[in-house]
Parts: sequence; structure tokens; C-alpha cells
Amino acid sequence: MREVLEIVLRSIMVSGTATLLASAWSIALAYLLVRSPRASRPLIPLLEGMVGVPTVLIGLLLYLLLSRQGPLGMLRLLYSPQAIVVGQAVLITPLITSVAYRVLTHSWNMYGELALSLGAAEGQAAKIVIMESLPGVAAAVVMGFSRALGELGVALMVGGNIRGYTRVMTTAIALEVSKGEFELAVSLGAILLFILAMISLTLRFLGRLRE
Amino acid sequence: MRTKIVASLAVALIIVASLLSLKGGPVRVRITTTTSLYATGLLDYLGDQFRKDHPNVELDFIAVGSGEALRRAKQGDACMVFVHAPSLERRYMEEGVITDGRIFAYNYFIIAGPPSDPAGVREAESPVDAFERIYEAGERGEASFASRGDNSGTHVKELSVWRAAGLDPKGRPWYLETGSGMGATLLVANEKGAYVLSDIGTFLKYSKDGKLPDLVILLEGGDELLNIYSVYLVPSCTGEEAKYARAFADFVVRDAQDLIARYGVSKYGQPLFYPAMGKLDWLRKRWQALAGG
Repeated sequence: MREVLEIVLRSIMVSGTATLLASAWSIALAYLLVRSPRASRPLIPLLEGMVGVPTVLIGLLLYLLLSRQGPLGMLRLLYSPQAIVVGQAVLITPLITSVAYRVLTHSWNMYGELALSLGAAEGQAAKIVIMESLPGVAAAVVMGFSRALGELGVALMVGGNIRGYTRVMTTAIALEVSKGEFELAVSLGAILLFILAMISLTLRFLGRLRE
Repeated sequence: MRTKIVASLAVALIIVASLLSLKGGPVRVRITTTTSLYATGLLDYLGDQFRKDHPNVELDFIAVGSGEALRRAKQGDACMVFVHAPSLERRYMEEGVITDGRIFAYNYFIIAGPPSDPAGVREAESPVDAFERIYEAGERGEASFASRGDNSGTHVKELSVWRAAGLDPKGRPWYLETGSGMGATLLVANEKGAYVLSDIGTFLKYSKDGKLPDLVILLEGGDELLNIYSVYLVPSCTGEEAKYARAFADFVVRDAQDLIARYGVSKYGQPLFYPAMGKLDWLRKRWQALAGG
């Protein structure tokens, strides 16, 4: 039981850190794309296409990158929670960026141009736009978190599912299934579903706040 | 612009965090292993015993198939490997990826199938004979065979038996390649009423748990179905990690032999693995034969 709790907490910590990281650069990127239509025209379809990229593919590419023989091997990140954090952050970047882009475009059209025409500085306008679209941006972040929490491929490939170190909920479920311990796998799955359901409820709540 | 600062701070944070993880803390030994040794719980059990004397060491077991375990060693991402695929082991040894191979345990593969046994495997004189019968029954549309299809030790073994029989079942409609682990493949065989080659440990575990009601052991024992587990060190791994990897390998082949013999007896009524100590000459000879040379 203690081990299960540890795994759940580790999952939330790892995916939470990945989400914070990805959010930081994704929201910044989304805002820059809103301000630069020339870059966003080719980039947004590309990002939207990458939203559903298979997690094992990201896992494999990252494995080859972080492997001792890979270009980033000297960082010695492979088989560590940090490696999963980086992988999941990369995984959910297209999702958060493309959702945030839509939200930010909407409020840019509503407030941003107006603010600029009223003499606001670029920084002030950015602040207004992001503040005005906060619920939508938060929803994008929450979606990213739930995808990170529910993915298996990255955690398995670069984390290695090491007991007490890189074992997260999805890799634990996969392991218990391979051991034939379906009951334990199902109860872990129930916890995961519960957390994802809570996230979805939060999402709806945030959506309602916006109205 | 504040977002930019936050972003660069976050990047800096992760670099610092990863650098910190290098310093201090326990010595982590990266060990890739075949799934059967890990899923039966044996390695965690041996690891916990080993750590009683070496509390500053963390043994990081990464459970993948034998094929992937060796491939990861080649990439430099393992300090030691536990595998059971002599022909693959020989290949990687010749490439210099693994050294210091030592046999530490063995058990047997079994051929399981539906109790009705349409192919007549019970009457078979050898595994090759059994596979020939399954092939013929398969062609008649009376039997099917579930294969791992994942380059694991068990899969390599299965392919070598087909080769010895001079048969190639690949692509036949009755030959089901699951591409998944031993447990999942046993479940497929159980559902489809198919024949299957399995290590005895995984079969016993699933069978005792009541997950394989339509599968019985039809052929077991015999030197041809010997399943030999070896431990190797990876020369590209150096320093403290390599030192403790060697210490753990020594522990497994010497001090832990009794633990291996007793493991699982109380739960499954018979041992899942047999210790290699005392039978090394015979096992080495069999290993050579299995490795094909």
C-alpha cells in the first residue's frame, strides 16, 4: 500500500513538473505565434498534427538522445525521473501550444489590438491578453497534465520502470499485467482514472468560470 | 516578457537538477534483464538481500526482453545483463559488448496446449517432433500456435526448434505472433486453444493463479528444453558502478544459490529456478550446444 501511494505521488510530481516546464515555454511560444502570423501559418498546423504523436516514438527518440552513446549521453539523465520529466514535457508541448494559441488569438483580437491602439506598450498588451485568457490557458495546461500523467511510452523507454525510483502509475500497471497481477493493475488503473476524472472536472469548472 | 524569464528559469532549473543528481547519493547500478527473472520477483528478492550488505547501492532493474536487454547494453545503457538466449549472448560476446559470462540458474521450457491435444504432442518424442506435429495439425486447420514474436529468450528458443525441424511457420494462418510478453502470450494461447512454448516459471505462476484453465503442460523436461540463465558484465561500464555490478554478479553466482533454490517453493509447490552451482560443467556444455557452436 505504501508503495502504491509512493507511485501515485511520484507520478503526480513527475508529470506535474513536466507540465510546469512545458507550460512555461508553450505559452510563451503560443503568444509569440499569435504576434507573428507569418510564423504561425506553417507552424500551427504542424504543432496540431503532432498533438497525437505516439508516446513510444517520443520515448525512443529521447532514449537514443540520452543514451550513453547518444549526443546527450554525458548528462547521464537516462533511467532517472528527470528524463521522464523532459520526455513528457516535450510530449505535451504541441498540445499546450496549439490549445493556448487558439485561446490567445481570441483574446488578442478582443483586447490586444485595442490596447496597442490605445497606446499600451507591447509588454502591457501581452499582460492584458494573457490575463484575459487565463481560464482557457489553464485548461490547456490541465489537458497537458492529464496527457502526461496517462502516457506510458516515454516513462517506460527513458525511465526504465525502476522500483522506488522511476516507476510511475502507467508503468506499474503494465508491469502488474505482465506479472499476471490483474487485480492490482485494475486498482492502480482506478486511481489513475479517478485523478484524470478530477482533472476533467476541474477543466469544466474553469470553463464555467470563463462565462 | 515575464513568460520568457519563467521559461529560461525552468530550463536552468532542470539543468541544475540533473547536475545535482550526478553528485552524491547512492551508487546506481543499471541492470537490464529478461522479463521472466523480474516478473517472477526473483531479482528484486536477490537485490534486497544484496543490499543488506551494501546499503549504499541501488540496483536499477530494467526489465525488457533478452534481445532488448543486450541491445541496451550495446548502447552503453546497462552495466550488467541477466539473459537466457545463448545464441544471442554468443553474438554480443563476439562483438565485445558483454564479458565475464557466468551461468547462475536454469529451468526448463515446456510446451503447453489444449487438453484435447489435437496435434498429439503428448506422444511426441522430442520438442522437434512435437513442433512437426503442431505444424501438420496447423496445416490441417486443427491446431494453432502462439508465438512471442519479440526476440526474447523464449522466442529465440522457439525459432531454434522450428529451425531444427526444418520448418518455417512464419506467415501461416495458424501461427499467431503476439509480439508481447510471456504472460500475455499464455493468455492468448489459453483463449485461442493454441499451443505455446513457455518457461516453466511464468506458466506455473499464471496457472496457479487460475488464469490458464484451458492450458495444460504437454511436454516437459529433457536437455533440448533446458533454459539457461546467465549474468554478464558490460565492459563499457566503469568505476564504482562496475565494481558493484561485479559484486552483485559474484553474489548471485555464489552466495545466493541457496536463495534461488528455495525461491517460490512455498508459493508454487516447486522451485521456479534451479541453482547452477554443482552442475556447471554440464550446463556449460549444454550452453555451447544451444549457442550453436
